[in-house]
Amino acid sequence: MKHRILIIEDDITIQQQLKNLLIGNGYDAESVTDFTSVVEQVKAYEPHLILLDIKLPGDDGFTICSRIRAFSDRPIIFVTSSNTDMDELNSIMLGGDAFITKPYHTAILLAKIAALLRRVSASGGQEILTWNDVCLHLEGSFVEYDGQRAELTKNEVKILYYLFSHAGTICPRNDMIDFLWDSQLYVDDNALSVNITRIREKLSGIGVTDFIKTKHRQGYLLS
Amino acid sequence: MNGKKYLMNKLPIILVNLLGMIFLAVFLTVSGNEGDSIVFILLIWVLVLSCYLAVSYYVRKKYLDKLLAMTEQLEERYLIAEIVEKPERADDAIFFEIMKMAEKSMLERIAEIEKERREYKEYIEQWIHEVKTPLAAMKLLGENNRFDFTRELLAQLEHVNHYTEQALYYARSEHTEKDYIIRETDLANAVHNAIADNKYLLRQNGVAIIVDEMEEHVYTDDKWLRFILNQLIGNAVKYRGSKPLIHFYSVKNGDMVSLMAEDNGIGIAGSDLSRIYDKGFTGNNGRTVQSSTGIGLYLCKKLCDKLGIGLEAVSEGEGTTVILSFHINDFVAKVQG
Repeated sequence: MKHRILIIEDDITIQQQLKNLLIGNGYDAESVTDFTSVVEQVKAYEPHLILLDIKLPGDDGFTICSRIRAFSDRPIIFVTSSNTDMDELNSIMLGGDAFITKPYHTAILLAKIAALLRRVSASGGQEILTWNDVCLHLEGSFVEYDGQRAELTKNEVKILYYLFSHAGTICPRNDMIDFLWDSQLYVDDNALSVNITRIREKLSGIGVTDFIKTKHRQGYLLS
Repeated sequence: MNGKKYLMNKLPIILVNLLGMIFLAVFLTVSGNEGDSIVFILLIWVLVLSCYLAVSYYVRKKYLDKLLAMTEQLEERYLIAEIVEKPERADDAIFFEIMKMAEKSMLERIAEIEKERREYKEYIEQWIHEVKTPLAAMKLLGENNRFDFTRELLAQLEHVNHYTEQALYYARSEHTEKDYIIRETDLANAVHNAIADNKYLLRQNGVAIIVDEMEEHVYTDDKWLRFILNQLIGNAVKYRGSKPLIHFYSVKNGDMVSLMAEDNGIGIAGSDLSRIYDKGFTGNNGRTVQSSTGIGLYLCKKLCDKLGIGLEAVSEGEGTTVILSFHINDFVAKVQG
């Protein structure tokens, strides 16, 4: 089941881009376009999570938040350009679950959304990823093939996680490094190559060869 | 009050008196008085005159000295007219009038300038909040469409963000006491967030990052700490060397936790070290890097002082280590525990 997220934000570009971002990350997203009946739209859409701006035409985010809280306890994330502590306090007092200031990092925003949704629906994320009989165990941080296991380091798990979740498509090196940085692993281009080489060695140790293909000047591909 | 000058001011009176004495002496001589009695009369005159001068000098000096002392004790000296008693003397009353008028116009001017300043500051803050919306939109656009070109744009965007944050904190730095919440802050988290703020800038400039494991929690305002770290990272990028590296680690020392940000950049000359927190100071190395403004560290120092964080920079020719020292107040822990 896809989670539904409602975006209450009056800047059209941000509205659209947030929607793209959320849909691209496997959520259903809708945005409020008519700011005279926000609460009714919330009731109609029944979102699992709400992204709420403070400065809005008509009622401000705080008012809307307290009205939503009257009938729903779905998580609300305040996304706002004002970063005074008064606003942050207000948002918490009125029942907001998180407070993110603009310009926000998509990685942090997505992580907050994922964390809040996990709390609500209590469904754990995928812990084992499989591609062509090779299993990546995220919790135990090892790969398994044909009953044999190879232990992985933190970097290697993250790299493989990215490749597994984009299996079948070419993963540009730059995107991979972006992802690793978002996961607080600060590797550079050389370190990525070194890590890939090491993963290949480990994989061939358990009988998997030619699993990660290098596409010249483009990136890596799981085959 | 200077006695000599006072006498000089009283010269007309003394001269008139002298003239009077001469006329009297001539008149008495002509009317056939003896020399002894003339001298006696003149002596009495001189005595009375000196007594008058001495007493009036003393009274005046006492009054003026009091006035001077009062003014010196006053913090806002232009308000002196408010606490002075209305003088009795005719000429003093005029000066008092003048003082009152001057004070009034001064107060009006101050009120006017304060209002202008406040409005300007409010405008700046509002402007910064407004500019953050298009910045957020640009950032989302860039991150949803990742190419090499957008990555460069995102790095530039991080620059823009540094400058807007600087302006915001500069506008706020005077009344910061209204704007912070001291909370338990995970030091490692603060560092990672600051790195995330500068992700594209760091990557574009090929800056390697090493963050050691940090267990420490400190009590501070995470928003401000993040701003300070952002400025430090910005500086490390600006004054980078050939193979730039920033190393974050923490050292626990008694009841202090120090967060170290060590870079291998061009460093700070020893003669400049003491002045890097001065507003507008760019130093020897600053002049070789174009975009030095001399505001970043000045603001960092100001915020650190208000938050009670120790800020120290160590540099020996090459590379700089900036040390942020936090007090771990066990009082806070005790209250919470």
